Amino acid sequence: MIEIIEAGPFNTVQDLGRPGYRDIGVSASGAMDPLAVRIGNILVGNDDGAAAIEVQTFPFKLRFEARVAFAVTGADGHPVLDGRELLPWCTHVAETGQILELRQPPTLARAYVVVGGGLDVPVLMGSRSTALRGGFGGNSGRPLVDGDRIEIGTHSDALPLPASGIAVVEPTVALRDVFPAPVDGVLPIRAIAAGEHELFASDGEAFWNQAWRISSRSDRTGYRLSGEPIKPTATIEMRSHGVVPGVIQVPPGGEPIIQMSDANTAGGYPKIAGVIECDLWRLGQARIGSRLRFIRSTHAEARAVEQTAARYIEDVRQTSQMIKRALKAMT
Amino acid sequence: MSAIDFSDPATIAVLTDALIAAGVDGLEISKAGAHLRIVVSKGGGARVSLTGNAPPDLAAAPAAIVKAPMAGRFCALRPSAPAEAGQLPRAVSDKEVIGFLRIGSVLLPIPAGRSGLLTRRLTEPDALVGFGDPLFEIEPQQ
Repeated sequence: MIEIIEAGPFNTVQDLGRPGYRDIGVSASGAMDPLAVRIGNILVGNDDGAAAIEVQTFPFKLRFEARVAFAVTGADGHPVLDGRELLPWCTHVAETGQILELRQPPTLARAYVVVGGGLDVPVLMGSRSTALRGGFGGNSGRPLVDGDRIEIGTHSDALPLPASGIAVVEPTVALRDVFPAPVDGVLPIRAIAAGEHELFASDGEAFWNQAWRISSRSDRTGYRLSGEPIKPTATIEMRSHGVVPGVIQVPPGGEPIIQMSDANTAGGYPKIAGVIECDLWRLGQARIGSRLRFIRSTHAEARAVEQTAARYIEDVRQTSQMIKRALKAMT
Repeated sequence: MSAIDFSDPATIAVLTDALIAAGVDGLEISKAGAHLRIVVSKGGGARVSLTGNAPPDLAAAPAAIVKAPMAGRFCALRPSAPAEAGQLPRAVSDKEVIGFLRIGSVLLPIPAGRSGLLTRRLTEPDALVGFGDPLFEIEPQQ
């Protein structure tokens, strides 16, 4: 059991999402940085999709009411346990009564608290993710508030964690060759031209050439971008059609909207491009007010990046298990 | 305290996995009544050996030696850490992480194990180390 001691708005329970129900209007939801959840779960010995706490407003505090292994992944910065700074992206063991505090990260947006056994909230339509707009899933379908108590699941990993923990080279470092760092503070985000790109003619080029700012009217449903508006050459009326996370729509005002984890299931605005899926976690870690630039990509590049990220995940999975086995054999 | 059963095939298998993952060519462990040598490939380069106890001259010295808990690449700092975090000498507490072994994308934190003054790194950053190789020197503080 853990008890939430201090929670700002919109911190929720999330796993890897609830795909497969968009046809009945149910958003997939899931962590904005699924890579961080996967890695955290591997480190503590959970299944990949175990539920974690997504913290996007800080400070955040919780109390452990049982001895449990945990890791904080996602954001940069150090978690604090009973006043002592801990390594991020590393397993630790909390004793009963200890308080974990997450402070505002220096640059990134979201931290994930992953506990050994996962958060034991009910599974709805195959997922423990909170669907905020639907008001279901996760912790009673709502953000965490002070005083909430959440059960922890059963831990099945037979291999003990090393006494000093086990950590990873975080994705921004390990995968820097395929996820380039921001240039002059502008995050490069790869996208592929979408169905209505041609409608924007020369404004289509303006879409790719300018740095967009993530506006304050952004949330887990979508990021609204601020910049020089882009307009289609003709006003068209489109039937509402299915959309998924990553789709970039352009409403009449000319400032794009990127669909994120709680994406609408359908929309009628023209689509100028789609962010490649493997870059979505980088958007999930981009803060309101930060800038991004879209880089033209291809399906082949998207596939190659996806495969590199998958190799990293698999390396973490296999190597961490190997290290646990080796250290167990030596003790 | 090591209690490895060198005759256990499972132990040999995990050691071999560790060597392969760390890019180490071979490993030789000698203890009283036990000797283990694993050669992963014929390639030259890495030399890994185990000494079960600290050499007499080090054992007699006041400084304590922090040794590698397994094979890997030595990282004095977390790859994303600022360089000033690794400046020496500095006081450390027993549970403080003073370095890492990098095996693939995984980092194994190395705790100081004792309080004192971290005076020296005994291994170059990114060097390949084997189980038991000396990594740090910590002088006890009065």
